[in-house]
Amino acid sequence: MFTYLASTFDPGLLWEYRETLLQGLQQNLIIFFQSAVLAVLLAFVVGNARASRSRPVRWMAICYSEFFRNTPEYVLLVWIYFVVPLIISKMIGSRAGFSPHVAAVLGLGVAYSGFLSETVRAGLRSVPLGHAEAATALGLSPFATFRRIVLPQAIRRMLPEATNQMISLFKSTTIVSLISVHDILYQVSVISSSEMRPIPLYTGVALLYCLIIILATYLLNRLTDRWRRRGWA
Amino acid sequence: MLDNFNRLVLANIGMLLDGLGVTLYICFCAFALSIVLGMLACMVRMWVPQLRFVAIAYIEFCRATPILVQLLWVNYVWPDLFGFPETAMQAGILALALQSSGYLAETFRAGFEGLPKGQREAALAVGLSRWRIVTRIEAPQALLVVAPLMINQLAVVVKSSTLVSVISNPDLMYQALKIVNQWYEPIEVLTVVALTYFIVLFSLSSIANHFYVRFQTKYGLAAGT
Repeated sequence: MFTYLASTFDPGLLWEYRETLLQGLQQNLIIFFQSAVLAVLLAFVVGNARASRSRPVRWMAICYSEFFRNTPEYVLLVWIYFVVPLIISKMIGSRAGFSPHVAAVLGLGVAYSGFLSETVRAGLRSVPLGHAEAATALGLSPFATFRRIVLPQAIRRMLPEATNQMISLFKSTTIVSLISVHDILYQVSVISSSEMRPIPLYTGVALLYCLIIILATYLLNRLTDRWRRRGWA
Repeated sequence: MLDNFNRLVLANIGMLLDGLGVTLYICFCAFALSIVLGMLACMVRMWVPQLRFVAIAYIEFCRATPILVQLLWVNYVWPDLFGFPETAMQAGILALALQSSGYLAETFRAGFEGLPKGQREAALAVGLSRWRIVTRIEAPQALLVVAPLMINQLAVVVKSSTLVSVISNPDLMYQALKIVNQWYEPIEVLTVVALTYFIVLFSLSSIANHFYVRFQTKYGLAAGT
């Protein structure tokens, strides 16, 4: 039994292909960071729009966040990869296309901006209105009020939820292999089919992800806890 | 546009509906299985101190591994290691259940731990046995609290179920991609499929939200997480 297990889970194979696998993981990290930045930017725009005074703007923001929260990431990714270039080429009248990398960043960024915009909205709403009014009474400009008074308090309340979203965004970056971005899972499937032995690599990748995510969750929680307690602004 | 819609979507509506049926079947089975597994993991974690470590490891592994990795792992590795699952369908159901059972276990635990301590003490004081306390006092309240969260989890299962097409389960996404590869005209089919998923998921999350608000206002219950 034990020798059987040892032969099926062979760490040597993992070590042998470490460079390819690490390159794949690097690709995952790049996509993660790019789409995280995109998601946060969009989330702030949409989250602010949901608190807007004008009703149409509010409605558009609600539709945006509901649509992207309730569409599976894989469907969204495929849709952006296949359909959006076609629509764009019809509009500008010449052929246009995305590289898989761009489609992946756009898809994941847009999908998670839906989730994050809810977080942003909740964070902004949790700041008492009186604080903004007091700042206005002291003569701060609307922008300064937002940047100096509302935002620092809101961010502290958003952090725990936002870290959760970031963790699931990192988990979702695995699906970019399906539109043939050369990420870690793509490399694993290529190596597996050339080696004809799926076991060590798939098990290894599952354990690797498990390790990375548990570590990241732990570190991020510790980090944000310190920030919140210290009153980071 | 409309012409294409008729040719691509309406002509293949049977295929797409079959796919939707497979998607719903897989989601239903996976969700039912994940409730059982999640409850088991939750009970072991709370009430069997000797095995607590195993339960925590199981829950953390299920929660920390991306669903696609789990799906491929179960599909390619488990048949050699354990001799099952035998079909891609079983592998899909098993992987979805595995993933979601980890989350559900934590949800159940939050439900049980969120109950006021007085409930248990009062039950002990009137002389109920430990088993009775769980089945008659704690579980009904805890399940009511977590019901909206469970519906949300079902929505997550439906969302992740798009990925079972990767191991060639004939679900909605699989059928759609098949039509796309046949005609090379993705706009109509993919848009219709995206909207279908949106409608299913949006109704699920609306139901969950409705119950969440209602339980809160009517019974004063609020979920811990």
